[in-house]
Amino acid sequence: MKFLKQHYYIIAGLLLITACKPDIKTPKPTNGGADFSRYISIGNSLTAGYADGGLYLAGQMNSYPSIVAKQMQTVGGGVFNQPLFSSDQANGSGYLQLAGFSAAGSPNLTTVTSNLAVRGQIAVPGFGNVTLYTKYTGDIENYGVPGIKLLQITYAPYGNLNGFYERLLPQDSPNNTMPYLAFITAKPFTFFSNWLGNNDALGYATSGGAGDVLTDPNTFAALDNLLIGTLTAKGAKGVVATVPDVTSIPYFNTVTVGAIVAGVQQANPSVKGIYINALVSGTTYAPRLATASDLIVLTFPTSKIGTPVTTPFGPLPYGLTPYTPVDNQYVLDENEIALTREHVVAFNNTIKSVAAAHGLAVFDAYTFLNNVKKYGLVVDGVGFDSSYISGGIFSLDGVHLTPRGYAIVANQFIDAINAKYGSNIPETNVAAYPGVKFP
Amino acid sequence: MKKFLLLVLALMPVMVFAQGFQVNLEGEKQIGMGHTGTGTLQDGASVFFNPGAVAMLPENYVQAGISPLVFMSEFNPTNSNATFRTANKIATPFTFYGVWGPKNSFWKFGLGIYTPFGGLTDWGDTWQGKYALESLDLKTIYFQPTLSVKLTDYLSIGAGFVYNHADIDLHQAIPISNSAGADGQGHLSGTGKGYGWNAGIFFKTLSGVTIGLSHRSGVSTTFNGNAMFSVAPSVQGNFPSPNTFTSKVPLPSTNSIGIGLYPSPNWTIAFDANEVNWDVFKNLSFTYAQKSSTINTTVLPQNYQQAYTLRGGAEYRGCQKLALRFGGGYATAAAPADFVSPQVPDANRVYFTGGIGYKLARHLNIDASFEFEHLLARQTTNAYTQLSGTYETNVYIPGISLSYHW
Repeated sequence: MKFLKQHYYIIAGLLLITACKPDIKTPKPTNGGADFSRYISIGNSLTAGYADGGLYLAGQMNSYPSIVAKQMQTVGGGVFNQPLFSSDQANGSGYLQLAGFSAAGSPNLTTVTSNLAVRGQIAVPGFGNVTLYTKYTGDIENYGVPGIKLLQITYAPYGNLNGFYERLLPQDSPNNTMPYLAFITAKPFTFFSNWLGNNDALGYATSGGAGDVLTDPNTFAALDNLLIGTLTAKGAKGVVATVPDVTSIPYFNTVTVGAIVAGVQQANPSVKGIYINALVSGTTYAPRLATASDLIVLTFPTSKIGTPVTTPFGPLPYGLTPYTPVDNQYVLDENEIALTREHVVAFNNTIKSVAAAHGLAVFDAYTFLNNVKKYGLVVDGVGFDSSYISGGIFSLDGVHLTPRGYAIVANQFIDAINAKYGSNIPETNVAAYPGVKFP
Repeated sequence: MKKFLLLVLALMPVMVFAQGFQVNLEGEKQIGMGHTGTGTLQDGASVFFNPGAVAMLPENYVQAGISPLVFMSEFNPTNSNATFRTANKIATPFTFYGVWGPKNSFWKFGLGIYTPFGGLTDWGDTWQGKYALESLDLKTIYFQPTLSVKLTDYLSIGAGFVYNHADIDLHQAIPISNSAGADGQGHLSGTGKGYGWNAGIFFKTLSGVTIGLSHRSGVSTTFNGNAMFSVAPSVQGNFPSPNTFTSKVPLPSTNSIGIGLYPSPNWTIAFDANEVNWDVFKNLSFTYAQKSSTINTTVLPQNYQQAYTLRGGAEYRGCQKLALRFGGGYATAAAPADFVSPQVPDANRVYFTGGIGYKLARHLNIDASFEFEHLLARQTTNAYTQLSGTYETNVYIPGISLSYHW
């Protein structure tokens, strides 16, 4: 009491100051017409938090579903477990780091190879080698599996072919028989997000149309109906996202035909252009000069151009004659782009109509990322666009996002959920997440 | 293959002066009466309020005052339940006035030193708007010699010259993560100077009502200073540092009219109206000495609009030694909704004041005042930074002054 008496004025003064702070009335949190008590996320690498060409702990911690789940907690969301790598194996699959820039301004990338979670490799007959990772045995709410296609959700042996899925399953490859769809629906849930479908087009595109095939739109529609029908069968609500235009990502827009030709012309002004092996129709390919409408992948080693290639006509410079075109895997040519786009549009029409039929919220990632590419984006004093590294949204692999990019996507999901269900999950603070890390 | 260019919003620590930067603390007696004083004769503060009234002052004055203020702002981002607050830092606007003229002469000379614009906002380096502003400390000090002349017993005029010295210190985060994931930082510090004038007319009408008109000119203030940028080493070349900057900020002119009413020997009632011509603030240009693809000359629109203030106040002198004062006012915002920034979250505002004056000795007065100002909650999205949310601000301003008069 003595203390109180002695310090009465100070305490009264402090109370006055505290009491008189401005106090903005923030909206009362509400879950609207949805129940977020067990939210699960379904999807591929984007959902898993994959970034910089790898899946690693820091990326997982910034996955968009984990951000959404954290924000959901103000409106009744429950715990959200992710299949995190341990801190000893925090670098997971390994990932790319920016080491600096060359004098010309090109980025130098290095790969992180320490503290990996790789436990081995297995050769699967008829498929090839599969890298296996340290198993995760805890509870899971984030079911994002890097590499998975919608096409593969009912394929029982898939758990033997994808190391990122295998690490979530109890059996070691090649003994798994649990299809993805059965795995994610094994436990009850009240809310889901689904962002599958990217790899059904992206796998074809990033391999230059050479190493993978596009999923047939009718198969896609049947599987999407099956997936959404199963997820909503017990009354769960959810949000789905469309597939981005694969050509809106820096993976295809950084190394350009014009820049390569300009580089070659510096050494040899007589060079007219570079030759590529382009799709004519069906599966027929023929060499022709590349144009600005053809896209070169980010990983194309430009130093290959001009190196001698053995041909029946003697050694000829790589990429500079119709007999030595740039390998198909490095080029998504004009016709391949058209084919990819056609599929993506069909996939998205399916995703939107199935969502509408089941009364689900939709985040239209296709439109959103196209707008970012076209107009850029400003959030909280940070400018973004679709450029490689400098654009701020895409990580060093040119396909996946930075933590800041994932935070932006998380807010898009939140907005879509709030608009559909009348909830008011608060948006996250994008400025609190880092972008590309510069040395 | 592609030349590396950083995409960073033009780095222009925006030295926004808003209506909120007009601190309106130019004399404790006047603060107590709702900051009126254009049409009344109180003391040496007439140098600021109405140079035309100085020659009518009954005595000579030397006086000084200080009004430490705490500016408490809160920000709630759109679609979020998060709130961010400024740190409670204390700014110290002050006044000094001297007025002298021979007894019963027709003229008086005055000198005013006062701080008409200033701001101290510290949002910290982790809040949502850190890329717009972390902290700003801005002070302007006006030096104003003034001459006032009584033309008749009922009419006096006066004019003064204004020299403005300004100091600025600003911190802003740069959205480039280093290898540890931490932001870059920009720090600007510098000084500014500018010139202006003011003038006024003061009437004593036959009915006893006093009327004042005054004009304070705009003061175009040129800032020069140092800019330091610290970002990840691999991109430091995009941010030449140490660097210097120049920026020209037009501070607005103000037209005022005020009246004083004296219903009884014990009472003074005053009303003031001001028109502040913030519409001069159309653009803000900012130039760095060393430029790069990222650091460059920038011109940003601000599109401020005219602001108005209405004020009223009264003084009651119950006995010889004691005066009680109260008042209040309403001011409109200068920044349109899409140009509000965290520097000073401009909004319409209402304020209430009270004051007390005591005669310590025949020539010595002490005056104390208290002002509470509330900037109404305002929802804005800044057109440039897209920082979107609601600001609300309370300002607490105690003040005290001593005046010696003879």
